[in-house]
Amino acid sequence: MSIIEVKNIYKVYNETKVPVNALNGVDLKIEEGEFTAIVGPSGSGKTTLLNILGGLDLPSKGDIFIEETNLKDLSSRQLTDFRLHNIGFVFQSYNLIPVLTAKENTEFILQLQKVPKKERIQKAMELLEAVGIADKADHRPGQLSGGQQQRVAVARALASQPRFIIADEPTANLDSRSTNDLLEIMAEMNRKYHSTFIFATHDQRVMDKAHRIVTIDDGKIIGDETFKGR
Amino acid sequence: MKTLFKIAWRNLWRNRRRTILTAASVTLALTLALFMRSMQFGSYEQMIRAGVNQVGYLQVHDTGYWNNQSIDRAFFYSDNLGEILHNTKGISHVLPVLQTFSLASYGNRTKGVLISGIDPVKENQQTNLSGKVIKGSYLKENSSGVIMGDKLAEYLKMKVGDTLVLIGQGYRGITAYGIYPVSGIFHLPSPKMNNQVVFMNVTDAQSFVYPYRIGLLTGISVFIRDPSQLNGIKKTLTENLGKHYEVISWKTVLSDLLQTIKMDNASGQIMLLILYLIAAFGIFSTVLMMTMEKRKQYAVMISIGMLRRKLVWVSIFETFIVSVLGVIISLIIISPVLYYLHLNPIPLTGDMANMYLAFNFAPIIPFSIKAHIFISQTVIILILSLLSAFYPIIYISRFNVLNAFRH
Repeated sequence: MSIIEVKNIYKVYNETKVPVNALNGVDLKIEEGEFTAIVGPSGSGKTTLLNILGGLDLPSKGDIFIEETNLKDLSSRQLTDFRLHNIGFVFQSYNLIPVLTAKENTEFILQLQKVPKKERIQKAMELLEAVGIADKADHRPGQLSGGQQQRVAVARALASQPRFIIADEPTANLDSRSTNDLLEIMAEMNRKYHSTFIFATHDQRVMDKAHRIVTIDDGKIIGDETFKGR
Repeated sequence: MKTLFKIAWRNLWRNRRRTILTAASVTLALTLALFMRSMQFGSYEQMIRAGVNQVGYLQVHDTGYWNNQSIDRAFFYSDNLGEILHNTKGISHVLPVLQTFSLASYGNRTKGVLISGIDPVKENQQTNLSGKVIKGSYLKENSSGVIMGDKLAEYLKMKVGDTLVLIGQGYRGITAYGIYPVSGIFHLPSPKMNNQVVFMNVTDAQSFVYPYRIGLLTGISVFIRDPSQLNGIKKTLTENLGKHYEVISWKTVLSDLLQTIKMDNASGQIMLLILYLIAAFGIFSTVLMMTMEKRKQYAVMISIGMLRRKLVWVSIFETFIVSVLGVIISLIIISPVLYYLHLNPIPLTGDMANMYLAFNFAPIIPFSIKAHIFISQTVIILILSLLSAFYPIIYISRFNVLNAFRH
């Protein structure tokens, strides 16, 4: 069953004198439980596509459906609320809230969802346990390594039980050991919770773990391969 | 909300030095403002006290006298009137006054003067008029002398022991006249009074304007124990005295003084405005820096599903916390200082002290510790700080999340 359906989307940026066509008629379907990597050279439109999939940006033309909801029909406020309940984010530079501890960062999204305190603390700790960082629950991001911060970011992304998780170059700032650990964790989450992951990446190690690789260039999908048995 | 407050609090302490400096600018502005206002209001209170000491908290006249101060609007003191004044709770004492205009003459010189009939003992207790006598002696009870201003004496070329001739209009159209020995010459702070006023025993003045029946007064100055009861006492007196008498408060009698205070206060407010602008820019620059610094954090929070309006609260809390911090520190520093200065005003010496004494003021710089000074200044600072929070509020409600990520 498709949880995301992108229909012939275009994205044009008019911020410079010459308009930039970042996406030129992209059609894409993502099924529930997929572990998909979107790959392509720099400037190919990966991040733009990811931003549109994540409801952070809207296409200039075309539609994007998350299940039955067309994101173009939502107001800014509805879109924010939609993201809260349906989409998880893992950013390249972790982007944890610097003044909150690992536990509070994970708990924060549950708080926005108005989950009762006891339940959210329990869930935050479970997730930190699952990403192997429960012992650092009371550490602030500044006291954690890049790999540890990215684990917290994964725990935060999973906390709201989203329909899918968007990860933009999640391993770009990590060393190889941390990358492997993080990929293992995300693969485990994918298996255990049947979470849908969509990555934008240049990293071959991520591609090696992906069940599906969508290749994009000049704002168009030029390849779409599925790897069974991964 | 608790988490938003926690984020705001921790955000502030991420840059401890900047937070302390901002709070310090609030502290400095508020401390200076409170010191200035306390001193200003202390002086006003002293001026009003001195003024009220002269004219009373309330004055009772015949109805219409205040707007048309003619001797024909004088009234006879009655036992009923005395009883009402005596029985009204809160009144400490009263001073009878009879004032009228007349021509004063000596030799070949004549001048229009204000004759003020007073109770010499009570008046002296109230205003220390005897202390202003520079030549001769003060009025005595049951003696028919007068005391006059030094400038008037100079104009009429009179000295102590000379005889002053007064002639003018008496009550109900009769001609008032009399001759009075000058027992003393006074010098008051007001040149107008030195040029114009002749004091005499109230009974002499009554006899001067209407010798057929003693007891005529133009007003009674009423002094009360607790100034906060002024309106209540005024209302009671107005009701009990009926429509033949008017009761006016010192605010009407001393309207010129109040106007002067108002103007002085306005100049003080300009100084305050400058102080507050300094504080406001201090807060605003911090808010501006914090907003710019946290663009990415804001972008992340909105991305993961936080509504912009909730995010606005973080900024409001940050601004509010730093301002409250500044206010608390200021109050801790300045309150004991002002309390001490209130109890131990700064004494004046030399010419300045003499000038204060001449105006019937104690030679001190008094400080007021009225609650309204502290409340108003604190509220102004907090409002200014909240105004500074408008920038992040506008920024957060409009900024582009993706652009913030790129920065």
